Amino acid sequence: MRAFRTTLLLAICSLMLFSCADVRAWERGYLAREEMAWAPDALESSLNDHIFFSKEASSGGNSAAGGGCGCN
Amino acid sequence: MNIKQKSQMLALLTLTAVSTSAWAVEEGDQAPIFDLPSIYADHPAISTASLAGKTVYVDFWASWCAPCLSSLPLYNDMYHKYKDQGLEIVAINVDNPIEDGLDFLLDTPLDFLIPADPDGEAAELFEVIGMPTSYLIEPDGTVKLVHMGFRSGDIEMIEEAIRDSLGGGN
Amino acid sequence: MKNIASRNIIALSTTALALPGIALADAPPTQSTISYKLSNYQEDDLSRSEAPLSDLERYDIDVHQFQLVSALGRNMSLHVDANYESLSGASPWFTSRGLDGEPIVNLSGASGISDRRTELSVGSRYYLENGSFGGNIGYSEEDDYRAVYFGFNTERHYNNDLTTVSAGLSHSSDKVFPTDAALFNRVEEEDKQSTSVFASVSQIINQVSSFQSALSFTEQSGFLSDPYKLRDIRPDDKTQIAWSNSYRRFFVSANAAFHVNYRYYHDDFGISSHTSDVSWHQNLGRTFQLVPQLRYYSQSAADFFTNVDDFLSPISEYQSSDYRLSAFGAVSGGISVIADMGSWKATLTAERYLANDKYSAYEVSQPSTALVKYNRISLGIDFRF
Repeated sequence: MRAFRTTLLLAICSLMLFSCADVRAWERGYLAREEMAWAPDALESSLNDHIFFSKEASSGGNSAAGGGCGCN
Repeated sequence: MNIKQKSQMLALLTLTAVSTSAWAVEEGDQAPIFDLPSIYADHPAISTASLAGKTVYVDFWASWCAPCLSSLPLYNDMYHKYKDQGLEIVAINVDNPIEDGLDFLLDTPLDFLIPADPDGEAAELFEVIGMPTSYLIEPDGTVKLVHMGFRSGDIEMIEEAIRDSLGGGN
Repeated sequence: MKNIASRNIIALSTTALALPGIALADAPPTQSTISYKLSNYQEDDLSRSEAPLSDLERYDIDVHQFQLVSALGRNMSLHVDANYESLSGASPWFTSRGLDGEPIVNLSGASGISDRRTELSVGSRYYLENGSFGGNIGYSEEDDYRAVYFGFNTERHYNNDLTTVSAGLSHSSDKVFPTDAALFNRVEEEDKQSTSVFASVSQIINQVSSFQSALSFTEQSGFLSDPYKLRDIRPDDKTQIAWSNSYRRFFVSANAAFHVNYRYYHDDFGISSHTSDVSWHQNLGRTFQLVPQLRYYSQSAADFFTNVDDFLSPISEYQSSDYRLSAFGAVSGGISVIADMGSWKATLTAERYLANDKYSAYEVSQPSTALVKYNRISLGIDFRF
């Protein structure tokens, strides 16, 4: 299962890379915008992670976990 | 991830790296020739020809690049300090639309030359691979220094190279 | 007006480096930011039919979050986070069968409980030519719970910064020491260890879009049960895997950014889940932004979930009536209004969350009682200098 998912991830990456344009350094103005960030509001993201962590069984995402709490 | 998968991934990354890399302007190279309109509609065009025989500091910047914006006021101070010794600063704006660049300039007036390069023609010639990138060009047209990024403390290093270049030209 | 417009551009640019691959190299922030967010989280009361015999009032939580991000010399940045939460209300104590045979829930304590949580974490990052690495340590304390944690992560740019690969690990060492342990025959003090690793790849697709995929594994061991429940016996080891994907796209003509995220999760308690959320970040002039967002979540039940506690089964058998281990779905929606005035920025957010077994994408063999509904409202202030 684990190997399968890793392979899937690699497959998606390769598809992604092949369809990617060469965006030059001076062409990244839109990508640099604040609202294009992975997490534009850090406190909002950490609050949501904390709430969902304590009300749902799932956790983990694109970063490693922080400390636990007595809420789960 | 096992070794085979790791190497597949590396191969993929290498493949795309090769396909997109080009030869960037390096120290010792001859600076590319460019001819661009000024960002200000009522200012004359700016070309390499009009700068011949001077020590020229070329900087590529955009309003969306945070380190660029912290460097520009420092370049302005440097310009006033060394313009009488023959320093010319050309800060090429790559904003598209150029209004974004002009908006920044309204708040932070700069006294050196600011060409507009919204289509990245000059950036392409220099093969700029990061923002900001700047080039110190000697009076004979050779690139003496390529500087990428802008962090605190960088200005002292750049100033020293400029002083060096101006001194050597005298 | 012009002044406002151009200051706003500077403000927008300060976070340029939050997205990998924008500048040639990572760099410490050019400005410092202090942020504060005050939130109120309030769960709906239970109905009398759900809990015929107990208190109906559930959690009401106030959260204060502080954050400082600042450059530390030429190559480093400093991150300080402090959180304070105060909580009151009650949580499910045990479930039983009502007169009509349907499961009912009994909340803990006649007057509910109150608790506080204080958390402090300090981190730093070192920026190289084409990457960075950083670490953090943190401490969280409640009346009955303490966690000490640390983490380390690194990222590197490839391919003229079009591709970013990052990886990290974190560890948390927790202690639970329930209040009134002797009175209610609860455990006195137990330990829990969690270790987590992740790796992610981000790719710029074109001038207006980017994609990120991440994989994380978490291993927990120790006391993973709920000490406040009358009967809650869980395995003392849990392995979790999460696969997250994010896509961002800017629409130039609309002057808006579209976000979509999807996560698949699985653990060896038997729970799988899908999480998907979308948001639309609409710029209104240079100062305002409106961000509607929608989220859907659904999980399957843990192998040992029961919606009615069985007090006759041997204590060697795993069993839990925790609604968080049941199969359910949850829909939530919210909206943020952001006013960016250059060095000051204010964000107001309202959100509604509804969990229901009827929303589940997975089969529900035992619908749980006490699934949560809540309202959340937040006011955030950022100051850049």
